[in-house]
Amino acid sequence: MMGKVESQSDLLQRLHCQAQNRRQFVGWGAGGLGAFFMNTAYAAQQPATSSGLTFKRDPSTPLSVLPPQFPAKVKRVIYLHMGGAPSQLELFDHKPTLSRFNGHDCPQSFLKGKRFAFIRGVPKMLGPMFPFHQTGKNGTWISDRLPHTERLIDDLCLIKSMKTDQFNHAPAQLLVQTGDARTGHASLGSWVTYGLGSENQNLPGFIVLASSGPGPTANAGKPLWGSGFLPSVYQGVECRSAGEPVLYLNNPHDVSRTQRRHVLDAVDEINRQTHAEFGNPETVARIAQYELAFRMQVEATEAMDIRREPAAVLARYGAEPGKNSYANNCVVARRLAERGVRFIQLYHWGWDSHGSPTDEGINIGFVNRCRETDQPTAALLADLKSRGLLEDTLVIWGGEFGRTPMEDNHGGSNEISKYIGRDHHTAAFTIWMTGGGVKSGMVYGETDDMGYEVVKDPVEVRDLHATILYLLGFDYQKLNYPYQGLDQKLTGVKPARVVSEILT
Amino acid sequence: MVGSFAGTRRVSASAYFSGVAMATLLGIAAAMFLRPAFGHTVLQLVGLETVPQAAPGSFYTVRVAPLFEAHCISCHGGERQKAELRLDSFAAVMRGGKHGAVITPNIAKDSSLFTRITLPATDDRAMPPSGKTPLSKDDVTVIRLWIAAGASGTLPVKAIKGAPALVVPVKMPELDLAAVQRQRAPLANEVSRLQGRFPGVIHYDSRSSADLEIDASLKGAAFGDSDLKALLPLRDRIVSANLSGTGVTDASAPLLASMKSLRVLRLMNTKTTDATVAALASSKRLKVLAVAKATPAALAPLRQRGVRVYEDVDVR
Amino acid sequence: MSDSPVIHEIPHVRVWDAPTRLFHWAIVILIFVSWLSADRGLMTIHLCSGLTLLALLLFRIGWGIVGSATARFSDFLHPPRKVAAYLKGLASGDKQLYAGHNPAGGLMVVAMIAILLAQAVTGLFANDGLHFTGPLALLVSDDASTWVTKLHGTIFNVILLFVWCHVVAVGFYMFVKGDNLVKAMFTGKKPHTHVPADIQVSFARSYVAFLLLLLVLTVGGVAWFIIQGGALL
Repeated sequence: MMGKVESQSDLLQRLHCQAQNRRQFVGWGAGGLGAFFMNTAYAAQQPATSSGLTFKRDPSTPLSVLPPQFPAKVKRVIYLHMGGAPSQLELFDHKPTLSRFNGHDCPQSFLKGKRFAFIRGVPKMLGPMFPFHQTGKNGTWISDRLPHTERLIDDLCLIKSMKTDQFNHAPAQLLVQTGDARTGHASLGSWVTYGLGSENQNLPGFIVLASSGPGPTANAGKPLWGSGFLPSVYQGVECRSAGEPVLYLNNPHDVSRTQRRHVLDAVDEINRQTHAEFGNPETVARIAQYELAFRMQVEATEAMDIRREPAAVLARYGAEPGKNSYANNCVVARRLAERGVRFIQLYHWGWDSHGSPTDEGINIGFVNRCRETDQPTAALLADLKSRGLLEDTLVIWGGEFGRTPMEDNHGGSNEISKYIGRDHHTAAFTIWMTGGGVKSGMVYGETDDMGYEVVKDPVEVRDLHATILYLLGFDYQKLNYPYQGLDQKLTGVKPARVVSEILT
Repeated sequence: MVGSFAGTRRVSASAYFSGVAMATLLGIAAAMFLRPAFGHTVLQLVGLETVPQAAPGSFYTVRVAPLFEAHCISCHGGERQKAELRLDSFAAVMRGGKHGAVITPNIAKDSSLFTRITLPATDDRAMPPSGKTPLSKDDVTVIRLWIAAGASGTLPVKAIKGAPALVVPVKMPELDLAAVQRQRAPLANEVSRLQGRFPGVIHYDSRSSADLEIDASLKGAAFGDSDLKALLPLRDRIVSANLSGTGVTDASAPLLASMKSLRVLRLMNTKTTDATVAALASSKRLKVLAVAKATPAALAPLRQRGVRVYEDVDVR
Repeated sequence: MSDSPVIHEIPHVRVWDAPTRLFHWAIVILIFVSWLSADRGLMTIHLCSGLTLLALLLFRIGWGIVGSATARFSDFLHPPRKVAAYLKGLASGDKQLYAGHNPAGGLMVVAMIAILLAQAVTGLFANDGLHFTGPLALLVSDDASTWVTKLHGTIFNVILLFVWCHVVAVGFYMFVKGDNLVKAMFTGKKPHTHVPADIQVSFARSYVAFLLLLLVLTVGGVAWFIIQGGALL
């Protein structure tokens, strides 16, 4: 390569293939074309970070396990994202004062200077729609909507003081999942698999399973589990719990596994030659991904086949093989946890309880969402616990923001009781966490009597991220990736805090 | 004859130097009067005043001193002493600075330290000044309670009621790669050899330690007693072993029991029995145990010790 | 013979040139200005007086090479043995006459210039922990700047000590030896009985002083410009 005289067209072709590394090329322009030729392209994809932590791996095994920075409390994460934002005032945040103000006009102090997604004018206050009671060893308040989860309340750590600054679904979901309200950033699962790899080399390290209520929910789509600026091999793989785990994973009708192997060998050889010639690191990643897909044909099919579970187990979850449901996804999640998958993410859409249409009504759609998720979530937790997996698994449950103590008078309409719903609320929402390193039976943070503002122990989204990374064995400042002149971090540029009070 | 010299009288050397000594002492005395903080320093230095000390378990040491350290001593400590005030020791805090004492015991509103930290952020004289991490409301409450209780250096933590809960921020451990290399050196060759032989099974538990984790669960029945025996050289460093679903049997019990650093052991879905559980009675560090079939009686001693035990529920 | 003391006009000999005298008193004023401005947090004044001090010190060092005889280092710098011998002679009351600085005084001068120079230089890199930094602080790390600031504070105490030593020593000469050094540093003249007989002090030309001052200010100005990154451009 060094001695060859390159024609103009060859050079252009090379530059085209190096398109992904164009930024680096321009950067090295000062060093001349010699520097460009001398560069080892793969090394460029694993730039040195300022923290001293390197994540260099053999390019053919990009998901190989790397140890965390310091001893971790958990080895894997199961993130249950309730898309659309479940109402904390109907589940966990008990506000008797709000009941007394039900139907009253919302005070100006709550409206002045604030922007709402749909509320216009002066809405009415909406008291909690379901009764609350105390439960568990510590008398934790909870509504009657989660009878199964309630039985495990002493294992959970509720955080009632989450705060965000995004009041629309897609940016808020992106903030919670990628640390930034705009697209282009790496998701939590990508950061975790980038930092730690995954134990099972025959399955993706980051698997996403989605289910939904009947109606659509505004969502940010695939960027929520995208790899952003991290190498694309760390993106989440969306699998299905009914039918083929990954579409087009299996061979076509008359193609045997052996034939597939021959095809792959040929494709691999061509890719290897391409890599030798052009040095594009994505080629190596592509080879690795084809190999992973080949191994997945066997292992993923087995891992995601919930029919292999005894009927009693499926009944515990409320799972029905053949349907794509949250319950089925929970069974799969447990199986994947047992099989060394690093980051398992479940999305259940449909929690956006504005009140219109009926599926979004708190008295209708919301009830259904609770019913769809309560039993499977509790069964998943119970199974993880009985297998001793909760010792080193972190389970997180939550949405992207909260819901307002005021009724959502969509566009200013005040028709009584036609729209029973709440608008998006950024100032406070509730999530819970459980697993290794997290205190059990704890309630952290408080909102005011109306459930509007956080008055004690606020937790920003970046603080939650810092805490998750800490439990996984990383200093959130040291797990970074240089991109666009900045050492990018999941927690972003603002200072974050590990919430030490909820840690054991 | 030589005339007298314009303006100066002659005195003897001894008279002069005695005069200098007296003037110097008077000067120091004046400085001590004008700057009480300096006065205290001098008196404490010559032993005419006892240096106030704070007791280790006192409210001051546990709650107040860390606040000063985190928010104040960069300008009021060893490197800089703005307004001649130091806040890096109990004696210094009680001594005060250029404008006198900053703490009036029992009366927070007369203590300039307290008034300065409760000024609105827009006030030029607010402490800490803008640009530095401000004290939280809880922090200010802690200081107020301390002054109100007498600004003591010995009053125990529990004696002051109503203080906000102490939040201990997590300390991220520093990564000293060279030290870690040294710790890993003795077994480094064995570790790489065995990692080559059993890919994906042996990992260091973190980048900052030489401890090892074994995870053979994905190998299934292919990983058995003889394979575990091959890991013998590493046994003292193994802190966690996941052998669930492997071919390991009771024959490995002595080896497992001899892993003196073992904290987590998983044996679900293996052919191990009470025999292995009994052998583990001697594992001092064991915190978590996941077993295959075992009787409650065999597990009782471990449970009594506080080991968290998980038993096989459904077979995979 | 009359007993009434008659004060005759004693012939005086010129020993100190104007630049040396101006330098000395300017330093005295600037030390106080620097001290008081730092004490009251008037950092801009502190910076100006510090920079002026630095310029004057650099001038004095240059003047110590090209200036009048009594201003030159070669005139009053003596090996330690000579200084020890001089001090012994002082204690036993020997008559030792010098036109300019005596060996002990010469040591004081050098020590004072050195310590003041150290103070000025450390000041360039120091910071006050808030918003004020010395002009060269941007060239070093924050930690280094803080360490230098601490040094700046310690050296101040050393300066106080040196000033005390200097005042006590001058007082000794004035009240014990009857040698009015303060007046001499003002007028530039000493009584001829206090200087060696037939002494001839050669004085440098005034324009040399002006040129030297100009050189110092130019070099300083250019350095300032470069450090500030040509900010005015």
